[in-house]
Amino acid sequence: MADDLYSVLGVARNVSAGDIAKAYRKLAKKLHPDLNPGDKAAEAKFKQITAAYDILGDAEKRRRYDLGEIDGSGQERPQQRYYREYAGGEDAARYRSTAGYEDLGSFSDLFGDLFGKEAGTAGGGRRFSMRGSDAQYRLQIDFLEAVNGAKKRITLPDGGTLDVTIPAGVAEGQVMRLKGKGMPGRGEGGPGDALVEILVSPHPVFAREGDDIVVEVPITFDEAVLGGKIEVPTIGGRVFATVPPGSSTGKTLRLKGRGIKGKGGKQGDQLVKLTVVLPERIDEDLKKLAEEWRDKHGYDPRRKLREQA
Amino acid sequence: MLSERDIIAKIQHLTVTRLRVWVQQGWIRPVAKAEEAFTEADMARAALIRDLEDKLGFDEEQVPVLLSLIDQIHGLRVELKTILEVLDDLPEDVHAMVKLRIEESKRAR
Repeated sequence: MADDLYSVLGVARNVSAGDIAKAYRKLAKKLHPDLNPGDKAAEAKFKQITAAYDILGDAEKRRRYDLGEIDGSGQERPQQRYYREYAGGEDAARYRSTAGYEDLGSFSDLFGDLFGKEAGTAGGGRRFSMRGSDAQYRLQIDFLEAVNGAKKRITLPDGGTLDVTIPAGVAEGQVMRLKGKGMPGRGEGGPGDALVEILVSPHPVFAREGDDIVVEVPITFDEAVLGGKIEVPTIGGRVFATVPPGSSTGKTLRLKGRGIKGKGGKQGDQLVKLTVVLPERIDEDLKKLAEEWRDKHGYDPRRKLREQA
Repeated sequence: MLSERDIIAKIQHLTVTRLRVWVQQGWIRPVAKAEEAFTEADMARAALIRDLEDKLGFDEEQVPVLLSLIDQIHGLRVELKTILEVLDDLPEDVHAMVKLRIEESKRAR
């Protein structure tokens, strides 16, 4: 199902068209693929907010979306499916009533046994065995719990509990099967399994790409030019990383083996994406330095851009 | 399987509270106690109850009576269908005999 479009853009349902445009532009500036080369997550998010804005940014489409006439992908919502379409099917068998046929059954011993009784229900019919159905649950865990593994307890709607051991490196959407922890079976049938879908909350600093951890780290103007050692957070604690001289924004350092322990013992890396950040206030010194530098050593970082577009 | 939220999102004027009351009353009987325990049939049934209450104006005393009658009709329909399917598989001369007997029986009434 498509997410709520308002929450995709991070606005309330009642905001003005102007606020929606503003929210979209703000996100688009941050997520535009050309501003985040190589960042697949940003690209996916950008597509999502753009699709949301296509609908919410258009007064008519927004009105229809609010009324529930179209869904989050702009598709017409299906017409109501009437109960009678299901009522004869297996799915609705538990609702169908076949009680109260005694008067009909009395006609004949042969036919009287056939109707009015559902297999396996009390009061007649042959006993039958059926394995219990699988129960489905969702479990929300923190980013670091997913990375390092954890023990969690789910409280069930009937007040019972279910203990789940989360293996290190579990990924969003992964489903864990707990044998025999589902619904009880019938007759000789054993219980079903519990299926637990893992949802991972995002971390403010760390992001995950496969078994690699991605972290954006700001560096100063002088670190970018001269290089140096900087402190970088990893999932295993802080480490020092070497910034080579002449590092522009977007340069990525690879810290071998600092990622997630993947399947088959393969260890992921940590990718450190550098972002050059100028001081908040540009003082006279820096200004003079830049002016002098420009006059003597101008360079053209946009040449390729012009050639290609 | 569908969750409460899926059902509420698809059926207008349905709230969590209303759906839970219907489940509590036994008008809707999810197959499991899990979070995602509803089927397409449950969703259509919820839409039916919503129509009975909102569009047709039946109250909560009347709805279970209607549901019980509807469930009995569908129970009968399925059993009738079973009989017809079985008859259909039997040889031609049996068809003819059954037809004849049904007509006789109706005339006798």
